[in-house]
Amino acid sequence: MLRMYLWLYVLFLYAPIVIIAMFSFHSSPSLVFPFEGWSLRWYEQIFASQTFRDSLWNSIIVATGAAVATTLLGATVALALIRIKGRAREIIATICAAPIALPGLFLGIALVSGFAQIGMNRSLVTVTIAHVLYALPFFVATLRSRIDYFDTSLEEAARDLGATTWQSFHLITLPILRPSIVGAAILVFALSFDELIITVFVSGNESTLPMMIWSMMRRTVDPTINAASMVAFGLSLIVITIAGAIFWLQRRASISSRTSDLEDEANEQVDSTVEQRKQSVRPVQSFE
Amino acid sequence: MSLSVNQRQRLLSGALAAPTMSFMLVFFILPSLLLLLYSFWSARSFVIDPTFNVDNYLRTLSAAGFWRTGVTGLSNGIWTAIASVVLSFPAAYYIVYRSVNNNAFYLILLSWFSSYLVRVYAWRTILGTNGLINTTLIQFGLISEPLEFILFSPLASVITLVHIMFPFALLLLVSALRDVKTDYLEAARDMGASRFQVLTKVIIPMSYKGIVSAFMFTFILAAGDYITPQLLGGRDGVTNGLLIANQFRSAGNWPLGAAMAFITLALFVGVYVFFTQLMKVCRLSPGRRYHD
Repeated sequence: MLRMYLWLYVLFLYAPIVIIAMFSFHSSPSLVFPFEGWSLRWYEQIFASQTFRDSLWNSIIVATGAAVATTLLGATVALALIRIKGRAREIIATICAAPIALPGLFLGIALVSGFAQIGMNRSLVTVTIAHVLYALPFFVATLRSRIDYFDTSLEEAARDLGATTWQSFHLITLPILRPSIVGAAILVFALSFDELIITVFVSGNESTLPMMIWSMMRRTVDPTINAASMVAFGLSLIVITIAGAIFWLQRRASISSRTSDLEDEANEQVDSTVEQRKQSVRPVQSFE
Repeated sequence: MSLSVNQRQRLLSGALAAPTMSFMLVFFILPSLLLLLYSFWSARSFVIDPTFNVDNYLRTLSAAGFWRTGVTGLSNGIWTAIASVVLSFPAAYYIVYRSVNNNAFYLILLSWFSSYLVRVYAWRTILGTNGLINTTLIQFGLISEPLEFILFSPLASVITLVHIMFPFALLLLVSALRDVKTDYLEAARDMGASRFQVLTKVIIPMSYKGIVSAFMFTFILAAGDYITPQLLGGRDGVTNGLLIANQFRSAGNWPLGAAMAFITLALFVGVYVFFTQLMKVCRLSPGRRYHD
């Protein structure tokens, strides 16, 4: 019964998205059933719009910038958190996590006051800064388990064996953190690409994709909104799929390298025994 | 002059933390303090007058409009948080203790990345006068006239916010439940606890932190969201979030908006205290165990 509940839960999450996806390919402008047929006209219409193409491009730039900046800041602070102990560590970790506990509205108005005070004009730069602030806690949280269980003796061992600080970082620390960093960076891209609540306050004349869709939604009920939303979702999906693929490939590579090491060692002696055992097992399996 | 290895390590970690800490100082801590300062200043025709006073707080606290919209915002947040946690808990339970693979979990997390606005728009399509719900109900002959009250009501906001928060709540609950190992559940069962007792005396107290953070995160995100209520809530659905946002966008009285924001934050803290106390009264929090 719980199993059925879980699938109902998934259905509830996906049904609205599927409905919007369907209507984005609807041949008539009506947004009600019955469904009248398929067409790509809304996609053609939305891609013909200069505003849409500009907003999409702005969003990609901002999300890329936010992902790069957050990765640099987040990864360096993660390296610091590995080394620092005690009270200072608590303080740093708390500051890095704090924005997550505040509503986006609060971050937005705080930032807009701050930018006004230091005389920074609202532009894509301020939007990127806002997104870094919003995404950094998520980045650090994603790396948290790796940071908490990081064994600093590995670095010490490397240095005892004569590695420089850079070498121990490059050969020991980075390979351990890398998969999480890549995953977290892509998460930041997706978060930034979809952010609207803070962006509303800090954006200037150039709008991002969510800003553009939002202003369309406030004005009218327009079937091109379906297509625009689907483009946004599609892009997030592509980025996430790439992240998943990278993660999966890396894990497979590390597992297969580990097992092949073991195999090399064991191969010479065990080879024949394994072969014999396999043959003796096979008839039993076929018997079943 | 040479530094010891220890000193060099400390210098290095300080240097590594410095960029992020300066970023947080300039773009998070100082702006928040500035906002606090603003809330004690006043604004006349777009010029901010830096003389200390508490007029903004008094004005906000005595405004009926602020309380009405504030209650809407809080009730949006509370209902969304309750629904998200209660409805996600069984799903998280199944994923952690029963399911053989993580496919459903990944599928749920993937939906998190469907854009926020897509979901808002989808629910507008579904709940509207000619939307899916109304047309289906009419087709089955359950109603003759489309139900007008669903869309543009606080209910529509809550349904949409729950839909948005589900993956987030589920993620937090799953990672909390993963820490409650099956051994404990089996031990409790062996000692004669019923299924219900295992839930209330083992699982919930042991995953207490995760449950509270799931509740609070969904609450904060939902209660502070001003875009969903604006697009779906209708006239009754206006929240104080929208009021604050408007002060910083069109109306332009930043000090008043800042005071409203800090009062709202204080209300959020109140909800946190209330919720944790409620869990304690219901004997669902960890700490001293009661044995009836």
